[in-house]
Amino acid sequence: MRRPLLLLAFLILCNTLYAQSLRKPPAGFKNKAKQQQSSFLDKQWWIGLKVGPNLTKATPETRYSVLTPTNYELPLTDKKYDGFKKLGSQATLEITFDYKGIGFSFQPTYRLSRYTYTNEFMWDNPENAVEVLQLKYNHELKVDYADFPFIIKYDITGNTLRPYIQAGVFYSLLVNASKTVEISGTDYASGGTNELQSEPIIVGAKDLLHKSYWGLMAGAGLHYSLGNVRLVFDASYRIGMSNVTDTKNRFTNDRLSGIGDALDDMKTDNIVLSIGCLFPMRFLSTSFKSIDR
Amino acid sequence: MNKYLFIFFCFFMLSCANESDPAADKSNFVRIYDSDLYNASFNPIDMQQTPDGGYLFLGSRRLKESNFSGAYLMKVDELGAFVSEQLVDEEYLNPVGDLLFLNGKYYFFCMKAVSFQTQLVEVDTEGAIIEVYNVGGSYPTAAAVDGSNFILLSYDNTSKESEVSIINETGGILQTAGYSVGAGDAVQEPIINHFLRTGRQFPFQVGKTSGGRYFFNGFYNYTFSLVFTDLGTGGLGVVQGQQDDGGISRVVQLSGDTYATARFNFGDNYFLPKASLNSSGISSSTDLGGFPLPELVKNAPVKILVSKINEKDVILYASNTKSGQIGIYVYEQSTGDFLGSKYLGFSNPFEVTSIINTADEGIAIGATTYVTGRFPRITLFKLSSDELSTIF
Repeated sequence: MRRPLLLLAFLILCNTLYAQSLRKPPAGFKNKAKQQQSSFLDKQWWIGLKVGPNLTKATPETRYSVLTPTNYELPLTDKKYDGFKKLGSQATLEITFDYKGIGFSFQPTYRLSRYTYTNEFMWDNPENAVEVLQLKYNHELKVDYADFPFIIKYDITGNTLRPYIQAGVFYSLLVNASKTVEISGTDYASGGTNELQSEPIIVGAKDLLHKSYWGLMAGAGLHYSLGNVRLVFDASYRIGMSNVTDTKNRFTNDRLSGIGDALDDMKTDNIVLSIGCLFPMRFLSTSFKSIDR
Repeated sequence: MNKYLFIFFCFFMLSCANESDPAADKSNFVRIYDSDLYNASFNPIDMQQTPDGGYLFLGSRRLKESNFSGAYLMKVDELGAFVSEQLVDEEYLNPVGDLLFLNGKYYFFCMKAVSFQTQLVEVDTEGAIIEVYNVGGSYPTAAAVDGSNFILLSYDNTSKESEVSIINETGGILQTAGYSVGAGDAVQEPIINHFLRTGRQFPFQVGKTSGGRYFFNGFYNYTFSLVFTDLGTGGLGVVQGQQDDGGISRVVQLSGDTYATARFNFGDNYFLPKASLNSSGISSSTDLGGFPLPELVKNAPVKILVSKINEKDVILYASNTKSGQIGIYVYEQSTGDFLGSKYLGFSNPFEVTSIINTADEGIAIGATTYVTGRFPRITLFKLSSDELSTIF
């Protein structure tokens, strides 16, 4: 009696196993799994470092001068700004949240910017052609900012190599600043052609600049996926939207006032180039390759 | 959520707000008024703030055809921007301060070329000359307002006397008194060198005390002295100097016989923010003591201003340092205690010529600087009450 019962149980089990092996999975089972994986990978956090050079251009809004002409035109005292001439540098920590090709990025940056301007003055005597003095003042500002940009990125297309465009807003906190003035010129009144070159005047300029400013930025870049990391090349143009000069401290530096210099109200634009690499912060498995995405 | 984002955005924008600030531009600035003429030379003598908030400068300028300096007027606006200038006719020489304000007009004394007779020049608030009145006398050295008249200190090189005159606003002499500088040419030499600017510039001053006595700081009895007088037969009070090597640099009455003053002695300089001066007897300036200021140039010109900083009545001394800066020294008016100091100017040398209180409770300082180290030009420092409050 026991033997037929065991046989019956064995047949039922085999039948069940066979039936299971022949049964198709429910409709959408694989898709659902894939969707779950896809949904997971639609969102990704990236973190990384970028470094690179920047160029700065200052644009005067309201002009100021200590030297005030009484017998020549005021515009002759205007400063001549050199646009995007001096190379600065920056280092950026990038934290980006990607969702379906759209990235929300916070990129705190330590940036050194440099920009320059010049003044030229001449004193002469119409009744004595020898009495002429020409002087040129070369000014350079070196300014350190802590930038806090918030950027939205959009991946255009591609897989391994992905171009993207970006736009955002940034807030910059002044960290430090210095100013160098070099005076050169020619004195014709001393009995010959006397070329003048003074020692540079170097002063701390943090008080002359406002503690913060803000601006808008737009740019483009490339992601290159290499294993689990992304190499990134990034270029952006930053437009300063507020005055960088401290309006209350414009004349407070005696060394600069003494040589006739006061900062204009001005806004600064930057061209910022960066390269770096980003690391994903979410993985399906240790074998996951970001290139899979 | 949107509300918090809006508040965050507003805070963000406000923290960056730093647009042009006309109020700050008016209250705090430095201006150097430059001419591009190589051989031009302009030195301020005195200035006044005009009712429109601007500033009117009386200055001197180098003349090609005279050993004396010519007169120069310049008007600037409340921001310090240049408005106009008057290169006063070369017929009028040797302008002297103060620039006097009376009945809505400004006046200064100078002298006429050739005759050297004293002239009273009437000027409007824009610095345009309205009228020139012949006063007579010669070699004006200092002037002040006396009610509705002027007090003039001058030097009569014929009688060799320092003269104090009361002059009305049309140049009429109402009263005059002469005080002998002493016999001989030796005593006259430094006076003439002062006028020709070939020698030391003496701190001539004239005024009237609250007690009704007049005083002048000038040459008397062979000595550069501070002399108190009633312009009549009453006795003199004399604070004697050391011939032309010592004396009083500047004096401002605080109350009764108490004065804020400064003195020089063989090149040294001393400040006395609370000094008791004998206005009826003879005394010596060297006995006054005072705080020594070794950082000042020899026989430094000193300007004194009674003002208020941080709600405290103070006395400001301004003078020239050996390093080419203008030193401002602040003392408490009631005690004479030192409160703090501030230095103006750098790179090129600066020399103070006047200091005034301004309508916005700041101060303005007129000075000479030497642009590129060589061209004398008028400079205006405007300091706000906020900046002054950082001194102490």
